[in-house]
This record gives sequence, C-alpha cells and structure tokens, in this order.
Amino acid sequence: MTAQVQREADSDPGRRRRVRRHALQRLVSIIAAPLWVTGSVLTLSFWFRYRIEGVKRVRSEYRAIRAASGDAPMLICANHLTLIDSFLISWALGSTFYWLRNPDELSWNTPERTNFGRTWLARSLIFVAKCIPITRGGAREEVGEVLERVKYLLSRGETAMIFPEAGRSRSGRVDESGVAWGVGRIVGSVPGCRVLCVYLRGRRQETWGDFPEKGDTMDVTLACIEPKSDARGARRSRDLAQQIVMRLARMEEDHFDARQ
Amino acid sequence: MEQSEVMERVVKILTPWVKDEGALASVAMETNILEDLKVNSARLVDVVIAFEDDFDIEIADEDVDQVNTVGDAVNLISGKL
Repeated sequence: MTAQVQREADSDPGRRRRVRRHALQRLVSIIAAPLWVTGSVLTLSFWFRYRIEGVKRVRSEYRAIRAASGDAPMLICANHLTLIDSFLISWALGSTFYWLRNPDELSWNTPERTNFGRTWLARSLIFVAKCIPITRGGAREEVGEVLERVKYLLSRGETAMIFPEAGRSRSGRVDESGVAWGVGRIVGSVPGCRVLCVYLRGRRQETWGDFPEKGDTMDVTLACIEPKSDARGARRSRDLAQQIVMRLARMEEDHFDARQ
Repeated sequence: MEQSEVMERVVKILTPWVKDEGALASVAMETNILEDLKVNSARLVDVVIAFEDDFDIEIADEDVDQVNTVGDAVNLISGKL
C-alpha cells in the first residue's frame, strides 16, 4: 500500500474498515486461489465444455495491453449476457497458472447480491472468489460504499470488472441507453484509469440467459481505452460511462459483421 | 426558495422517470425514489443532471449517495440554494 493510501485510510474510520475488509478478503482469496481458480476453470472446460476461440491470441493480446499500460489502474468493462460472464472473461484473459502467478491482476467483481448472495454458502464462495456484491437499485449509501471499495482497489493497482449496462442485457445486445453511471464515477475518480473493454459472446448465444449453452464456443475481442471528459459532476460520470458503452457497442457491431 | 417549492419542482423533475404513478399521486418527503416511485437506478444520473440544470447547482457524486427519498433530494438541493 502506498504511503498516501495509508494516510488516507488512517484519517477516515469508514475507509479504515474498508481497508481492513479488503485486506482480509484479498488474503483469503489468494490463499484459496489454487482451489477456486482451478475449480472454476475445470468447471468451465469439462462440465460446461466451453471453448474460447483463439484463446492464445486473446491472452497474448491481454498481456500486451497490460504491458503497454504499465502501472496504470485498469478497469475491465464488458457486455453482459449471462451469470458467469466474469468467470468466462477471466478464463479467456489468462490461464490458471497465469492467475496463480499474478493474483492481484485477477479481477474483483461486483455481482448482483440477489443472484449470488442468498445463502451463506453462496456468500462464502463469492467472498473467496473476489466478489463484492452490490444490490442494484439498493440504498444509495450501500452502492456508494461498493464504488468506493472499487476505487480503492484500483488505486492499489488491483483490477476490477464491472458491467456498464449494470444488468444482463434483456435485448441480447449492448444497450447504449441503459448505462450505469457508477462506472463513470469510478473512472472519473481514479487518475489515469484505463478501461479494458471486452466483448464476449457464445456463437449459439442469441440473447441473455443464466448460462451459455453447454459446448458453446466463445468469441472474445479486446480494446483498451482511456475515457476522458471535460464535463463536471454527474455529466462527467455519464459522459465517461457512455464512452465505454459506445465502444462496446462498436465491438458488438464488428463481432456480428465478422460473422456474416 | 421555500422547501415546498423545491419539493414541487423535484417531483416535477422526477415525473418522466417514475414508473409507479400511484405512488406519485401520494408522494411525500418519505417517498423512496427507487423503491416507491420505481425510478430505474440506471436513470439516476439523468435525474441528478436534471436537478443540476433546473436549480443551477452542482451535485457531487458523494452527495447523491445520501439521497434515497424525495425528502433527501429536497434537503440536498435546499442546502445548495
């Protein structure tokens, strides 16, 4: 932790709690990583029988983007169709061994609490798997606290993944009008934050669902952007969020153009 | 500006995004913007921008985190006028 981050943590009780909780969850996640990362990959590979098209190319491209970005904070933003998109994306970006060697690069996620936090077992599993549950449409303070946690971990050089459409796309396509401004708040508050836009879609995926069809092949494309805005306040957050969603929408157009 | 006038303008601004018109008819300071009026949380940024434009104020992201009810919005805006 940098000295500045430590000083800020010491001066604010809420931030101290956040720092302690984050440190605990990070430690548990790293210790348990050989189990949950391996288990996740085996499940995706052998139970669901998914395949990532050109996975070596995708991983090579990801590593090149990270290398080019240096120490810049990186937020991963992706289209959202299923409940396991974050697992699929992480699997596409790196192998099990890569994540075990680079645990802080493996992204934190913000799943919807009602989908993943109903039982103590589910809550325990997502705690171990670097998840910070959020209640979409919930009390503003709670949502704000999650956003602060994400800003904190990004400022530490860790990685987070957020779906800028907030929920799974009911139309099956990137919805440019349904942008969650939280992602713009984060990007606007973390100096030098890069956004790795990821478009992932199964070839048999027509629309949203809980899981892609078993045996499906996923196509993945990446694009790294650094959204900027001269606006202030809420407009700035909305502007930044819209830049990200518009990029994802263009990636989606390219995806479908390539399939024709 | 009187608080009642602020509330009237706040409700008018919220109206296009309200999905529960019944709740709008009985709106009060305690009315929850997301739970009672059923405003889509993804539209909150548009609501905040509309508040900023209508009242000619600037609302920080952190301030928005304290706004759950119509009354919270009214008090926040009144404090900035």
